[in-house]
Amino acid sequence: MSTAALAPEWLTAREIALCPCGCIGKRRKANFVEKTIIGAANVLKQAMFSADVASQPGLLQRIQPAVKVVTMLALLMATAVVRHLSILVALYAATLAIAVASGLPLWFFVKRVWLFIPIFTGVIVVPATLNLITPGRVVIPLGTWFGHSVGVTAQGLTSAGLIVARVATSISLVVLLTLTTPWNKLLAALRTMRVPKMFVLVLGMAYRYIFYLLETVTDMYTARKSRTANHRNNTSSGRAFVAATAGATFGKAHALSIEVHDAMVARGYTGNARSIDHFQIVKRDVVWVLACSVTIAATLGVNYALGS
Amino acid sequence: MPSAVDIAAFDASVCAREDQEIFRVEHATFSYLERFPALNDVSLTVRRGEKVALLGANGCGKSTLLKVLDGLLFADRGSFHAFGAEVTEANLEDEQFNEGFRTRVGFVFQNSDAQVFSPTVREEIAFGPLNLGLSIDATQQRVHDVMRMLEISDLAERAPYQLSGGQKKRVAIASVLAMNPEVLLFDEPTAALDPRTQSWLIDLILELNQSGKTIIIATHDLATLDVLADRCVVFSEDHQIVADGPPGTILRDTELLISVNLLHDHAHDHGSTSHTHPHDESHHDSHREH
Ligand SMILES: Nc1ncnc2c1ncn2[C@@H]1O[C@H](COP(=O)(O)OP(=O)(O)O)[C@@H](O)[C@H]1O
Ligand SMILES: [Mg+2]
Repeated sequence: MSTAALAPEWLTAREIALCPCGCIGKRRKANFVEKTIIGAANVLKQAMFSADVASQPGLLQRIQPAVKVVTMLALLMATAVVRHLSILVALYAATLAIAVASGLPLWFFVKRVWLFIPIFTGVIVVPATLNLITPGRVVIPLGTWFGHSVGVTAQGLTSAGLIVARVATSISLVVLLTLTTPWNKLLAALRTMRVPKMFVLVLGMAYRYIFYLLETVTDMYTARKSRTANHRNNTSSGRAFVAATAGATFGKAHALSIEVHDAMVARGYTGNARSIDHFQIVKRDVVWVLACSVTIAATLGVNYALGS
Repeated sequence: MPSAVDIAAFDASVCAREDQEIFRVEHATFSYLERFPALNDVSLTVRRGEKVALLGANGCGKSTLLKVLDGLLFADRGSFHAFGAEVTEANLEDEQFNEGFRTRVGFVFQNSDAQVFSPTVREEIAFGPLNLGLSIDATQQRVHDVMRMLEISDLAERAPYQLSGGQKKRVAIASVLAMNPEVLLFDEPTAALDPRTQSWLIDLILELNQSGKTIIIATHDLATLDVLADRCVVFSEDHQIVADGPPGTILRDTELLISVNLLHDHAHDHGSTSHTHPHDESHHDSHREH
């Protein structure tokens, strides 16, 4: 072929590639862009893992998604009103038992829940233990501050414990629901629960195309990385890349959304999404609902009996 | 494995009259955003059972014409009749007309990612039939049959993002076949597929055509032309139809192919060698891209 005649000279010349003495360049740490991309890849992996867990045979996997959504919501509300640490600890223990019965690796489940907790509660809980905020009997004196003695109070510890236990139990419930229900079944459940179709449809598409866009971003980054030889000025070029990628991705997302709409219209879509799944409640679901009702009643009863 | 013939049996109303005109486009002109021209005074008639290839370089307007034929875009000037009735935006707002038209015309998009939008493969294939008013039981039967026919039964519960490009294409085709359309529009169907999937797809298209489906394919791949089409409609780069004839004639008309940028001088120059290796996609691209 005669492309060589038109190609600029530099294109046909060879570059100095590796210096003969091997790897002497400075090692480079992953920058934030790279970490973000690795994060994107992890989201994909996580989703696959969740899909695997959700398709395993187990206690919760066998319950109808719609039933699961309702009972989990009820349990969440019960958890929110409990004012005694002991009850919360019992509820948390129950979530662990359900996790095991549903075939979730216990350690993975515990880790998943407790990873969230510092973010949600750390800011509130730590100052709340101090006598400056929760007055009471100081059990761990920390010194003085502007003439006041500062310390952790018993009352503060109790309320901190309450918050942490409540958050842990609530997150456990949510994680149980999401890990044992395939995303599409969850959407179908919402649909049967008379959540507006449009809302469910958009939710479903958002989920589906997040993966498409994540892939796009990963590809763009990989393409860029394979073209990057010099790592000076990493962060600012990284930032520029993120800005440019965001722009390009947005453009792609927009063009894609038009295509998707066309593809839907081409197959007869006129604004009503119909579903092929129809749900039936079986005995197992009834038993589960009863068990949850008893738990909720017991929780509220004991909570009331113990007083405030 | 059920064949395409079983699929045709879905719909008893398939009319067997030969030589019947199904699409008639007259003097259609279209520009995107009233600024970017895509079709320039295009007229075209398609008869039942034909295999028509829309041939032209990138950007000449093939996809746009397919979208006009599928009632997704509407010509700024000119008209489009399908099955004897005029197709306009207003007509398609009529539920019955819309349903009738959409059931009879299926469109396999170039970008499978746009076409495969449901959470699972099974729901994807069920989308069309359900929208067109089929019962859940009938839909399930069709989904089952089509998945068997396209050998994707084991993907039923998978999410589209877990599929390879070839698998996505199969799902996209299945989702269209489940509606059992009389006319199938394919936008560059073999692009970005591996050779094995490509030849599978070509066989499928031929089988569908033999079972009575009308096929319209947008392509710039000259290699598969004489198998895939019995009629070629050639677009020039100024969005006009410049030739219409059997593939043998069109492929021999080197001057025409060069003028519409489907063939480069080089391929002509060493004509003897260009016949010793296959006319694959990369070969043509390498000739175009400078
Ligand atoms: N969404 C769009 N907005 C603006 N211009 C477009 C759009 N889609 C296509 N075009 C323009 O219309 C012309 C025909 O495009 P298209 O039908 O996609 O060509 P082909 O499928 O033959 O490659 C091209 O010049 C293209 O740039
Ligand atoms: Mg195109």
